[in-house]
Amino acid sequence: MSERPSEVSHAGRRLLRRGAQGVRRTVARRPRLFIYLAILGPGMITANAGNDAGGIATYATAGADHGYRLLWSLIPITISLGIVQEMCARMGAVTGKGLADLIRERFGVRWTAFVMLALLIANGGVTVSEFVGIAAAMELFGVARYISVPIAAIAIWWLVVKGSYQRVERVFLAMSLVFLSYVVSAFLAHPPWGTVLREVVHPHFEFGSAYLFTCVAIIGTTISPYMQVFIQSSVVEKGVRVEKYALTRADVWIGTVFAIMIVFFIMISTAATLNVHGEHIESAAQAARALSPLAGPYAEVLFAIGLLGASMLAAGVLPLATAYSISEALGFEKGVSSNFREAPIFLGIFTFLIALGALIAMMPGLPLIRVLIITQVINGVLLPVILVAVLRLVNNRELMGSHTNGPLYNLAAWLTTFVVSALSVLLIAATLFPNLFAK
Amino acid sequence: MIYLSQVLGRPILDLEGERVAVLKDVIVRLGEGDHPPVAGFVARYRRRDFFLPRWRISDFGEHGVHLNSDILDLRPFMRRDGEVLLARDVLDKQLIDVDGKRVVRVNDVQIIEAANEWHVTGADVSLLGLWRRLAPAFLRSTRPVEVIDWADVGYLGTDAATVQLKSHRGRLARLHPVEIARLAEAFSYQQGAEIVESLDDDTAAETLEEMAAERQAQILGDMDEERAADILERMSPDEAADVLGDLPEEKAEDLLNLMQDDEQSEVAELLPYEDDTAGGLMTTEFVTLPRDLTVGEALARLREMAETPNMIYYLYVVAAEDSWNLIGVIALRNLILADPSAPLEDVMRSDLQVAHPDDNAADVAQKVAEYNLLALPVVDEAGDILGIVTVDDAIEILLPKGWRQRLPKMFG
Repeated sequence: MSERPSEVSHAGRRLLRRGAQGVRRTVARRPRLFIYLAILGPGMITANAGNDAGGIATYATAGADHGYRLLWSLIPITISLGIVQEMCARMGAVTGKGLADLIRERFGVRWTAFVMLALLIANGGVTVSEFVGIAAAMELFGVARYISVPIAAIAIWWLVVKGSYQRVERVFLAMSLVFLSYVVSAFLAHPPWGTVLREVVHPHFEFGSAYLFTCVAIIGTTISPYMQVFIQSSVVEKGVRVEKYALTRADVWIGTVFAIMIVFFIMISTAATLNVHGEHIESAAQAARALSPLAGPYAEVLFAIGLLGASMLAAGVLPLATAYSISEALGFEKGVSSNFREAPIFLGIFTFLIALGALIAMMPGLPLIRVLIITQVINGVLLPVILVAVLRLVNNRELMGSHTNGPLYNLAAWLTTFVVSALSVLLIAATLFPNLFAK
Repeated sequence: MIYLSQVLGRPILDLEGERVAVLKDVIVRLGEGDHPPVAGFVARYRRRDFFLPRWRISDFGEHGVHLNSDILDLRPFMRRDGEVLLARDVLDKQLIDVDGKRVVRVNDVQIIEAANEWHVTGADVSLLGLWRRLAPAFLRSTRPVEVIDWADVGYLGTDAATVQLKSHRGRLARLHPVEIARLAEAFSYQQGAEIVESLDDDTAAETLEEMAAERQAQILGDMDEERAADILERMSPDEAADVLGDLPEEKAEDLLNLMQDDEQSEVAELLPYEDDTAGGLMTTEFVTLPRDLTVGEALARLREMAETPNMIYYLYVVAAEDSWNLIGVIALRNLILADPSAPLEDVMRSDLQVAHPDDNAADVAQKVAEYNLLALPVVDEAGDILGIVTVDDAIEILLPKGWRQRLPKMFG
């Protein structure tokens, strides 16, 4: 018995030599493709999140009102969107922190309060636009907005707070894929491809307030402030590291180009179906007509499905993301699993945004399409606030080390900020003094 | 008592009351005490930062800082080891409140004078603290606010974190590993890794086991390899095998080779199994006893074991010493209650439930739940016990993901 204890200490411990040889086999068996798929994502998802209710309305209106004459703006917008998204993704990978977090830690309380206020207003506007989108989509199905909007608002609030939103999220995402049909529709509408190509590479600018308005709306809906917060958070959430950042950069650029391609086809199909007849878009039913070359009499149904999916998707995510950002930056208790006593401000912001969106969308006689575009203009006007913060952070050596912007990159990024600011100022001036640019 | 926000940016005045510079930061020296003393100030004069030692100051407060001499040393400021700058490293940063078991953001820092020394006593995390910095002076409230005692600061999310972690060693270990893991995940991945690295091997291992699988792999993959191997040894073999499976091949082999022989072979043995099988779920830590022992001898063995596995509630009876052929199981309760002279064979149950290594993980988990087991043995074709699937691993399979992750992954 005396020598037993040492043996006993091995009780339950099996020393099998065959196991050691198994290592290489198991580890090598892991498919490499999986890594790519796991990382390829945030850029694609975020850039295409821009194609929501407000986005569709803006691009469709731009095509209907201005024909092919705004197509040229898509190339500079692609570059700007790619650069802005890439900077935020890079910050996420290098610092492992969200944008709201970095703003608070680097700029202090007052700047944070200012930026967060801008974000709250911009995201509030977008939330309103999503509920307007729900109202418009359901009206195409013949359901009055006084019924559809409150039901949608309560359903979304309930799903998010109960934590089951993620399960229905995929359904909405799948529904919004309907908008891919714009690509087919654009081809079937037989646009004059020669003119289209010429307009893409031929920049021209007008000083009319309608033109400015549409420009700012396009920029505001494509490069929305929430998208910067969003992409950085998802890069952090995915745990993307600097060493593997090249993949994420590719994802950001591919996603950007893909998103703008969709925009390109939306504008072409509306230009070819509505603008040629001198029609404007004042209702969702009119906007849906751009899909008629593909779907014929079912164009409205198709459009309504896509609009509803995209709007429901964003109407849940945006208020939640906004509440997270603000709570994160200002240090409030957060999380949907907490109750109102534990996280009053977090849940308060979330609830307020949904209620605000629903209430505004239910206002009688509200011109839905017009409201959709105004919310995107607000986005565009507030965008410079976020862009300046992003640029100052990404060029901070202490924070980013050797991953700050290069000189050319900085030039393009500051130029974007400057152009967007200038357009916003011009638009505000043109709105306040309607005769400013009158000929 | 003063707040940091009330003194930052205030003038630094010489003996005549002339303004010579402005206060940019307050330097504290972390050390033994719970409330670190103010060691000096960073002053800013004509876009240059210079150091003002504590002994050059006669008074400091909301009105500004008073110098006690007219001589100023204008050499540029350099941070020394063990020093923390309150405005740069603490204000607006996140920290772990060990007492409240939560991550909070610092809105202001409280400084109290005692025996002609200023000490940092707490971090103001209240809404009023935020308001104090936002609002104009006349709107500020003087109501007392919620302050976190500096003695409860477990981790400071800042560049100076290592300084702070060294001087506050052990504060975080007061928390349960589950809590440490949850708190660490609220920080960036670098800071999360820093928190785990600051723990002792055992706590680090337990904390990692509670974190998401990818995060475990990232933290261990970036760590010093010797240290990572030490922590892997302390983890339960099934968890360690899972982490190694998530790491790149070469890294996994390097770490495995650095582990001690015993632990290495235990983990290596588990690696070949697929994640979603009984083999991938099982752990190799369990107790076997030969059938010819008496109850008393068996209990004596248990007491003498140098290292007891986590799961000793079930003791597996094998055909003979050095055999792995499973013939029965005894619950610890029955062993304790049984007559010490009775042979194990008489006390054990031989009609036991088993799983095979290739069985589907969900089915195995279901079986554990159905038969109300704490563990289920996994045996090969020959009837040799290979490992056990414990109830905690079964729960992870059975409960939907959303239940376990209380914090939603909203952008995922």
